[in-house]
Amino acid sequence: MNPSLKLLLVLLLSLEISFTQKLVVNLLLIAVGLGLVIATRPGLLTLLRLLVVPAIPAATLSITIGLFTPGHDWFFAAVLASRVYVYVLLGSAVTLSTPPLRLARSLEQNAHLPAKFAYGTLAAINLLPRIVTAVKTIKAAGQMRGVTLSFWSPRLYFKAILSAITWSEQLAQAMESHGFVENQPRTVAQPIPLSKIDWLRFVGSFGLAQVVLIAFP
Amino acid sequence: MTDPITIQNVIFSYQAHQPVLQLADLTIPRGSFTLLYGPSGSGKSTLLRLLAGLLPKYGGHLNAQAAINLAPQETAMLFQDPSLQFALDTPQHEAEFALENLQVHRHQMRHRIRDAFATVGISDLADRQFATLSGGEKQRAALAVVIAMHRPVILLDEPFASLDAKNRALLLAQLQAQVAAGKTVIIADHDLANYQAVQPQIIRFDRAHQATQLPEAAAQALLTAAAQPIALPTQAARTWPAAIVGRKLVLERPHQRLLDQANCQIPANKITLLTGESGSGKSTLLKCLAKLVPYQGELTLQGRSLQKYRPRQWGRQVGLVFQHAADQFLNVTMAEELALSQAQGRHPYFTPANLTAAIDLLGLTGLADRVVYSLSGGQQKKLQLLVMLMMGQPVLLLDEPFAGLDAASAQAVRQLITACQAVQPATIIVVSHQLAGLAGWVDCHLHLSHQQLQDLAEVRS
Repeated sequence: MNPSLKLLLVLLLSLEISFTQKLVVNLLLIAVGLGLVIATRPGLLTLLRLLVVPAIPAATLSITIGLFTPGHDWFFAAVLASRVYVYVLLGSAVTLSTPPLRLARSLEQNAHLPAKFAYGTLAAINLLPRIVTAVKTIKAAGQMRGVTLSFWSPRLYFKAILSAITWSEQLAQAMESHGFVENQPRTVAQPIPLSKIDWLRFVGSFGLAQVVLIAFP
Repeated sequence: MTDPITIQNVIFSYQAHQPVLQLADLTIPRGSFTLLYGPSGSGKSTLLRLLAGLLPKYGGHLNAQAAINLAPQETAMLFQDPSLQFALDTPQHEAEFALENLQVHRHQMRHRIRDAFATVGISDLADRQFATLSGGEKQRAALAVVIAMHRPVILLDEPFASLDAKNRALLLAQLQAQVAAGKTVIIADHDLANYQAVQPQIIRFDRAHQATQLPEAAAQALLTAAAQPIALPTQAARTWPAAIVGRKLVLERPHQRLLDQANCQIPANKITLLTGESGSGKSTLLKCLAKLVPYQGELTLQGRSLQKYRPRQWGRQVGLVFQHAADQFLNVTMAEELALSQAQGRHPYFTPANLTAAIDLLGLTGLADRVVYSLSGGQQKKLQLLVMLMMGQPVLLLDEPFAGLDAASAQAVRQLITACQAVQPATIIVVSHQLAGLAGWVDCHLHLSHQQLQDLAEVRS
């Protein structure tokens, strides 16, 4: 499906389940999301992470609701916990099946998002590995000057924020040096099609979700 | 289009009454190969950024009377540090992004990118992640994008600082072809080696931030002097007691094995020069010694395995002077940086009097209250070297310590290191592409190529 429509569909479904309390629907969506995630053939580690990390907020939420609220509403607790998994799995289904550049291009071409926003976000994503390296470098720089920077050291964050500010300015200069001018029309290297079939799939999936939402208690 | 580029009445400053560039009248003919030559901090980069339209937009103040008859849309610029020039993940995507901005139709785009990549010889790197490219490869990718943009004026800010002689000659030839095709190429550089082949016109910047065009004879004399071959008389590393010993050492980077060495050793308390082509893994080897990247095999310092040192202890044993000076700083102002090294540093050479003398020697006097990140590239480099020397680790790794430094500054740095060595010698490894001035200063010379470290003294004999 077209990346923008995919994103829109997931956002709409997530919004919907935020306002309904239907456990079966959530479980169905988790099954669909998990199926889509597995279809992208993720590494075992990625899959484990997707299943284990959300368990922390899910467990926290359900224990709070189930044990420490006056009603001890374990059903609502289960709904909340399953919601966490719906968000994570549907979101990952989109990000794992779509390269970030394709999503950015689609948002620019199909959703007519300003290029500055689409590419700014993309550039920020591309910075992520650099942030990891930068933190490592900052720690080493500290070590070699007799300063141990643990992950709660203000100095580490000061340096990291400083790097981020410098990067944001450098990024703006980098984009400008490669001809980027805000609000100026651009051509496309790779058109992202938005076909009738995309729309049909979108409407079909969303419609099906509505039917399920109405049909199940 | 054929009018020469004229730059008149330009006064540019970051802080009031401290101009970093003053040009009364400067003319650069179109279709020429022009070199802006001068010491670090003399305003060469500033002029390029003004021409590219990045300044004063991103800081500083340009006087109202300034007149430059070159539109930023006519220029394409190559930054000093190529990794700062990419917004996307691969060379192919970056080039597509640039050509989309220039509203090139996608059918043409494909040809233009393919041609530009072939010209620079990076076709096989087109889809590699930038994070997996070496400094030299990134530089070539950045040039390929600039060439694909087809702008009439190409601006390059010290583009060869991290390139070896072979890549440098290759790129210069490509730039010369661009000039032959009618482009104007303007390069800012402080090192004239390898430029003799292209016979550029030279505009000399001085420390008063003013620029004058050199007459042809003077330019020729400078180029000839810089082109002299450099002899590095050295002794074999094995003839000294070893400080660092490696056995069955293997270093890898995604897609590439960098080092696979049965035995190697670094002599104690000597200065070892480490050279090799761009991308051969010199920086990675230094990072490995600093325990910043993993390795296979065995590495020992004074007989003790690297694995046995905890990070904190290791920081006391080994100092790595990063390629990017800004990575080294932990504070805001120069005075704070110096204070930290004074408090934590152990090098006996740096008595208050000697420190003042060192600051003066490096031309950093009077900059104490400046924010370190606002210093020029060369000033940052010198401050970085100073604060690391003050730490006094027994092993010091210098990654391109002379990049961005003019000959006088590089000489001052070497002089300071020699003075420190006389008081408390350290095992020093220097990675450098710039060999000028190193003869007599380095004790031995290792060359990294084809995954092997060769001792050039043994190769010669």
